[in-house]
Amino acid sequence: MAGESGGECNRTNAFVVSARKRTMQKVAKKAGESMLFAVASFVAVIVLFIFYFVARDAVPFFQIRGFTEFFTSSNWYPADDPGEFGALAIIYGSLMVTFGSALIAVPMGVAAAICLSDILPFSIRQYAKPVIEMLAAIPSVAFGFFALVVLAPLLQNNGGPMLMWAWWILVSPFMLLTVIVLSDLLTAKIIEPKRRQQMHIFLLILFSFLSIFMLFKVGTVLYGIQILSGTNALNVSIILSFMALPTIVSVSEDALQAVGRDIREGSYALGATRAETILKTVLPAGSSGILAAVILGIMRALGETMVVWMASGNSSQIPEPWFNYLQSIRTLTATIAGDMGEADQVTGSARFHVLFAMGLLLLVISFVSNLISERIVVRQRKILSGQ
Amino acid sequence: MNIGTRKILDRSFTAVGIGSIVVMAVALMIVVVPIITNGIGAVFFTGTVEHRKMLFSEFKRGDSENLSSEVASSDRYRAKVYGMLTGFEAELETMAPEKKAEYKAKYSEVKAALQALLGPFPGDPAPMLTRFKYGQTRWEKAEEKLHDLLYESKWDNSNPDVMAKEYFVSRAIGFQGTSLVKLFPYVKDNMEKLLLPEFTFYWGFITDSSVDSHFFGGIWPEIQGTFFLAVGAMLFAFPLGVVAAVYFTEYARPGFLNSMLRSANSTLAGVPSIVFGMFGLAFFINTLKVSESKSVIAGALTLAIMILPTIIRAAEEAILAVPKTYREASLSLGSTKWNTIATVILPAALPGIITGGIISLGRAAGETAPIIFTAAVSVGSAIGLADVFSSPTPALSWNIYNLASEHEAAAQIRHVQYGMVLALVSIVLMLNLSAIVLRARISKKLKG
Repeated sequence: MAGESGGECNRTNAFVVSARKRTMQKVAKKAGESMLFAVASFVAVIVLFIFYFVARDAVPFFQIRGFTEFFTSSNWYPADDPGEFGALAIIYGSLMVTFGSALIAVPMGVAAAICLSDILPFSIRQYAKPVIEMLAAIPSVAFGFFALVVLAPLLQNNGGPMLMWAWWILVSPFMLLTVIVLSDLLTAKIIEPKRRQQMHIFLLILFSFLSIFMLFKVGTVLYGIQILSGTNALNVSIILSFMALPTIVSVSEDALQAVGRDIREGSYALGATRAETILKTVLPAGSSGILAAVILGIMRALGETMVVWMASGNSSQIPEPWFNYLQSIRTLTATIAGDMGEADQVTGSARFHVLFAMGLLLLVISFVSNLISERIVVRQRKILSGQ
Repeated sequence: MNIGTRKILDRSFTAVGIGSIVVMAVALMIVVVPIITNGIGAVFFTGTVEHRKMLFSEFKRGDSENLSSEVASSDRYRAKVYGMLTGFEAELETMAPEKKAEYKAKYSEVKAALQALLGPFPGDPAPMLTRFKYGQTRWEKAEEKLHDLLYESKWDNSNPDVMAKEYFVSRAIGFQGTSLVKLFPYVKDNMEKLLLPEFTFYWGFITDSSVDSHFFGGIWPEIQGTFFLAVGAMLFAFPLGVVAAVYFTEYARPGFLNSMLRSANSTLAGVPSIVFGMFGLAFFINTLKVSESKSVIAGALTLAIMILPTIIRAAEEAILAVPKTYREASLSLGSTKWNTIATVILPAALPGIITGGIISLGRAAGETAPIIFTAAVSVGSAIGLADVFSSPTPALSWNIYNLASEHEAAAQIRHVQYGMVLALVSIVLMLNLSAIVLRARISKKLKG
């Protein structure tokens, strides 16, 4: 494109412009182009600089303290003399809230993306998109403030009942579905219609009782839970999931849109319902794009600072037992944000450099996952266009 | 599976999808509604005479004649309260020593509660901190303090298995048989006359600077700081981003170098915001020394780097959305490539580019982590435009964190925190809404 138009210009100008002027023009064009290139490569320079400057202050920590303590000990006493810099509990805290938020955000986000790309008519989609954009636009500190001032007291005072209601509302529809499908599947083999119907009804009633019993049992257990501190991993996971949702929804919606109409129509032509089409053909075809979306969303949760700093409780411990989301935790980002002010920048103590080591860890994780998600997207595009 | 079950599954699948969108909308409401309802309370509230006193002496606002007549009328009722106190003090002297010690402790609690409600007692030396110079300026806070005066809070630790429960005991019972017992019903019944509540529209919340670390006054320094940081970031990032987008869309040839640059762009977009803050500290402040320590310029540069990838992407999309026919028409008229870009493509893409810019501006205004180490300071007055190269600034996002988590009396100034959050959220959402509207108009226009 560039060569073509340039050539045309030169040919038309050749009659009126002197040779010298022409070379001048060429030089100017090259200079302009290389200036544009310089500006565009500025981004790459910044990325290199970020890696260099974070690593420059991170390396001294590993020189002083080695790798073992940082990754295997959970004794975090940076202010002591000599300090202890075991970041295991902090790394675990980061992973814990990231996993927790992914657990909420991934199913919801993918369901919402499917809904936006395949189910809702255009007129409603127009109103749904701004909602997602607004959710993405709300500053993280506002979410953090909400988590600290509204959600944390709620959890602390009415934690048990809230958990029970959440359990009931979220699980009972799925329970109902499971009962229907299970009884249907189990009776499918019976050929005689009358017996099959009897068996079907019997199984429906049996499973309903079983599931209601289970709902009640777990519900009462949840009702009895007392949350000692509202600023805990659960609170943070919920808020982070809402911050990761917009990314997951918009990127996976793009991935689903990229799956062509022909695949969908082929499935419909074979007699599949819409749900079957989406679950069995569209989702597998778009799965790599959705994976990329999930990675990007998770990275948003892992890299988030303000919410975890304000609402995670900031206690550097591995919860007891390890999956207890109702205890306070501490994350990498919150530690960096909170300790930098107290660390001595001038003398460059281990306490200062350990924060950069954490930053480097975050940076490397985000870099690797970005590369992976990018490769996935490129590969999916190739496969889909090849078909 | 039989056809009925399949239909049910299909319907419920749809329901799950719609449900999750509804949950997102509800979550947005749940977050935004308390922020709006409580945040408005920072500007519209029932203010007491103490609020008007504070405004007059701290900001020189208000009608002095009106105020002095109000103060005089409330002082008439207050005089009776103070009279009761002196009466009880005299009674205290005549009591037996052990009884005296018991009452003295209780009495000092009552005095403290009254002081919190009505301000310093007449004749007392003026307090050092402004926060103690006035009584309760807001009616709902005054009612809380009244409750503190009337009831003593105690904790029930009788059952070791559950958390201790708070319960209240009337203070009047403790003073049964003394002259002070009349004080409690008197204050309760004459609250309105003591404090003269009045509906207040405090526009100064936006335009005033804060007094005594946000106990009184407004949030102007924070709003201004946020404005400086966000606009400063845009000044750096917007031109760079647009030029880079022009290169990527018009000049870049597919190849190794180009894909590297694109990877760099998406890597930059994925860097956690706190790492930008560390980089800003290590590079702009400790290495380049753009300023002695934290400064607006360092923060703006850090934010600029953070929003650069967003701007590049938005500008690229806007340029690619310009129909090919525009370009071809311009080229066929004999204009050069550069001419075409400058006079045809960029003007056509401009609304789209600006949309991306507005969204990035909102992001720069709302982001906290990058400015913690580079630009933000907890307490400070508004800075002049000349100071941006040398001094740090308070900013909405940072001060929300600071007031909510680190302020020594965070629970007492919730209304200020909510007001700040509302200010920040409405700035950001307003920017985003205008971007959404702008984009809707562009897509209509491009469709023809």
